[in-house]
Amino acid sequence: MFKKISIKSILALCLFVLLFACSKDDPDPINENEAFSRVTLEVTKEGSSNPTTYTFEVEEHDHDDEDQVDHQGEHIKIDLEANATYSVSISFFNISDNITSEIIEEKDEHQFFYDITDELNGFSIVSAANDTEDSNGNPLFLKTIWTTTGETSGVVVGYLIHEPTSKTGSTRNDIGGATDIQIEFEVHVK
Amino acid sequence: MMRSLYNIVGLWKPKFPKCRCSKSFVLIILLVNFSLLTSSFCFSQECDLVLKGSVVDLHDNSPVSAAVIQVVEGNETVFSDADGIFLLKNRCSGKINLKISHPNCDDLFTSVNLNKSTARKFYLEHHIESLEEVVVEESKIKKLSATAPSYTLTELQKDQFSGRGLAKALEQISGVQILSSGIVISKPMIHGMFGSRVGIIYDGIPIENQQWGQDHAPNIDQNAFEQIRLIKGAGVLKYSGDTPGGVVVLESKPPKIMDSLYGKTILNGMTNGRGLNLISSWTKSFQSGNYFKVQATIKRVGDFSAPDYVLSNTGNDENNFSFSMGQNKILSQWKTNFSFFSQEIGILSSAHIGNVLDLLTAIESDTPTIINPFSHQIIHPKQLNKHYTGGFQYSKRNLTNGKWNAKYNWQRNNRKEYDIRRGEYKDKAAIDLTLDTHNFAYNYEWGGFRWSFDSGAFLQIQDNYSNPDTGIKRFIPDYIKTRLEAYFTTSFTPSNDLSLDFGLRYGHQNNQVKKYYHYSRWRKENYEERLGAFVIRDVAGQKLVEQRLTFNNLSLSTGLKYAIQPDLKLSVNVFHTERAPDIAEMFSDGLHHALASIEYGNPFLKTETTQKFVLNLQKERGVFRYNFSPYFTQGQNYIIIEPTGFELTIRGAFPVWEYRSISSTILGFDLDMSMQLGERILLSNNSSWIDGVEKGNKIPLISIPPFTTTSQLQLSFPRWKSFFMALTSKGILSQKQFPDNNFETSVVENGKRLTKLVDISTPPQAYHLLGMELHWGSYPFFSDKISVSLIFENLLNTSYRNYLNRLRFYGDEMGRNIMLQIKMNH
Repeated sequence: MFKKISIKSILALCLFVLLFACSKDDPDPINENEAFSRVTLEVTKEGSSNPTTYTFEVEEHDHDDEDQVDHQGEHIKIDLEANATYSVSISFFNISDNITSEIIEEKDEHQFFYDITDELNGFSIVSAANDTEDSNGNPLFLKTIWTTTGETSGVVVGYLIHEPTSKTGSTRNDIGGATDIQIEFEVHVK
Repeated sequence: MMRSLYNIVGLWKPKFPKCRCSKSFVLIILLVNFSLLTSSFCFSQECDLVLKGSVVDLHDNSPVSAAVIQVVEGNETVFSDADGIFLLKNRCSGKINLKISHPNCDDLFTSVNLNKSTARKFYLEHHIESLEEVVVEESKIKKLSATAPSYTLTELQKDQFSGRGLAKALEQISGVQILSSGIVISKPMIHGMFGSRVGIIYDGIPIENQQWGQDHAPNIDQNAFEQIRLIKGAGVLKYSGDTPGGVVVLESKPPKIMDSLYGKTILNGMTNGRGLNLISSWTKSFQSGNYFKVQATIKRVGDFSAPDYVLSNTGNDENNFSFSMGQNKILSQWKTNFSFFSQEIGILSSAHIGNVLDLLTAIESDTPTIINPFSHQIIHPKQLNKHYTGGFQYSKRNLTNGKWNAKYNWQRNNRKEYDIRRGEYKDKAAIDLTLDTHNFAYNYEWGGFRWSFDSGAFLQIQDNYSNPDTGIKRFIPDYIKTRLEAYFTTSFTPSNDLSLDFGLRYGHQNNQVKKYYHYSRWRKENYEERLGAFVIRDVAGQKLVEQRLTFNNLSLSTGLKYAIQPDLKLSVNVFHTERAPDIAEMFSDGLHHALASIEYGNPFLKTETTQKFVLNLQKERGVFRYNFSPYFTQGQNYIIIEPTGFELTIRGAFPVWEYRSISSTILGFDLDMSMQLGERILLSNNSSWIDGVEKGNKIPLISIPPFTTTSQLQLSFPRWKSFFMALTSKGILSQKQFPDNNFETSVVENGKRLTKLVDISTPPQAYHLLGMELHWGSYPFFSDKISVSLIFENLLNTSYRNYLNRLRFYGDEMGRNIMLQIKMNH
């Protein structure tokens, strides 16, 4: 009797396999609309109306470039004049969409922080008058004023921080939170 | 003819699963055989009387076949046939003493006065097993293996950690550790192996979800099962052929066969996490063998605390429900069941980091970067797990004492991982996986006094769906897996002192995987050469690759168990295990936030094979008892994950971890000792040591547990009869054997550029934990029985970190915890 049942059940199983083993539908591709793929710095000298735009793009993990250009290892150099003032605006992109407004919308949960190395003597970055402030009045450092004095050169690291634990710190550690963007560039003051 | 058949059968002593067939009855009807009666007409002293009887189940009068009827005087043995009928011929007049036994039933001793050929009915009854029974009779349970020792959690051990998950309960067995991601997400590790190398079997079916990778705990409520057993070693080919670590078997007891309503309720309260957890199970059984069982668990736990701070967002909630109904008879059983498991687990807030610099900051800091006041609320990041199961099974004994069992089982797993995200994605899961699994299993067991056999087939169809709405590339791709497996196991017991067993399992597995590869990865790994032919679509900078991967695996096991002395047993087991690589090992693709690493699968992995030798020397009785179990494992194509380089992202450079296969060697031992000092004091110690290396270059394997030793002093007092207490001391050394996966990173700190070492490899310091348990009970409480336990964990509030916790960089382990447990047996 069990033989009969086993044959039946095996037949049923085979049928089941045939039914199921056909194929899986093609999955849809996922566009990672949320992640950052590009950061630009728009540097305008006081009195001038011709901004210089510097682009930071790292397209290895989060995104794929269709132009097949490898942006890895590119080093951005920003040349500035001595004893001058620049207004700098930072923007964040996902592929070609400007998503800076999303950061501004969630201003309480974000902070941009510029960390200037000691070699850059007399170089300073402060929040601009038209910068975004969060609900506690802390500037986000999206729009900044860069002031140069004598000739110098060195490295600046910029961080976009999500959910910072403090917004008034003077080091990256003080601010806490999770780093969403980390960019690095050389500043040359001549 | 029938008679000769039964004489052959007479040698058999089949091993049946423990049947708590409560009372069942054999009814022996002695019928007069008239044809014979005519010849025994003249002298009643003549030895030609006939006893004809039939054996029936007390509850529903159904006949019971294959009952053994022994005539106590003279050792004659017959069996009842399909209609429960047996004949004892050529009997002399007078009293005959009979012993009627059935593997599922209590032995029935009875006597018949035979003056003439007589007809009589005898009722056989199933074992009466009450749930209060703490010690399970090993002899009546079907052993998981005839030669490899299995470890059973006692009811006390099981209930003690009823609120803390399966892995925590299993950790009480030497050689079992917990591999965790935080406090709640934990999985058992046996002999240095975990994940899909350790099988978790419930109601005879493996639980699915390990295909999703390491940071996933088994989604099962151990409180829905009455019995938890474990085999260290490759385990049980009946259930799985690809688990070189071992097998955990969770089983439900069939209820009593009588009109009854009973249950058990456990209420746990814990100070650390300010948590409560309530478990209740109820069974209604009927005389007919029918039963219903419902069980539910509800759990609410807030943030755990380390000795010096709150571990923010480590709370967890659980809501589980299970229902089963069925019928138990001596000869047949059916059961249908459904269960639902739902769990929400908070992930330590400070473990959500953005890049390597954040990881470095966390490692360099003694305390978590985020410490909020205690809360019961669970915020992002968190995990939401749901697991549904449903199934039906039927088993039947046939005439020749064989038994077949057929099962269908369905499982649906859903895991959602929520991350800290922005904008419209804020409340969207970052990972949303659904795994549907259909299992069909069929097996037939048969055997006799010396030999027993078990053979069966298993079919699995599994479908994984990765929801694209997450807006983040799939960590695990969509796939359909089909597995067809068959096994045969046999054991031979030539004498009481010696058992041998052998088993094999063959599995065919087919994975149909559809995965998107990003161009950059495609180019970097030069996949075009090897996977180019499988591209079916090319869209938005990604290539969709369809692969059909087939694996054929043969696993073998053999063992020997020999009683050197009546209480000293030696067993030797050898396992050859072949395991197809997991989907996660072949295809995972994504960012691990907690480890600040990018993880890539390796689509070219081959079947992993391991050979394991386990020796076990056990002294079971006496004042001093021990169990010494050394083992040795060698693996080919042993799959590990390790860092291979860096990848630059807009968040900075990330270390990349990739799967690779190596030749490995793992050896170790477990030693359990206990000493009874008088009637009141029991001293015991469990220790385990393990060492694992990559062959050739001798690089240690990652996540190998350090030497662990646990000592316990159990005391009871003559004055308080239903009280006992235990003091536990657990020492864990620092692991000195570890692979160096550290890397350097360049940071700007206080205006200076520095190169810093990111030490993700060095295991934490050694530590020592003290625990105490106080148990009272059981006491009568109205119509119920009540028992109370008070359990102190980490009594000295020691701060420590655990090497096997993947989030160890971010915070200490739990501090002192006091658990109050109230248990009622209804």
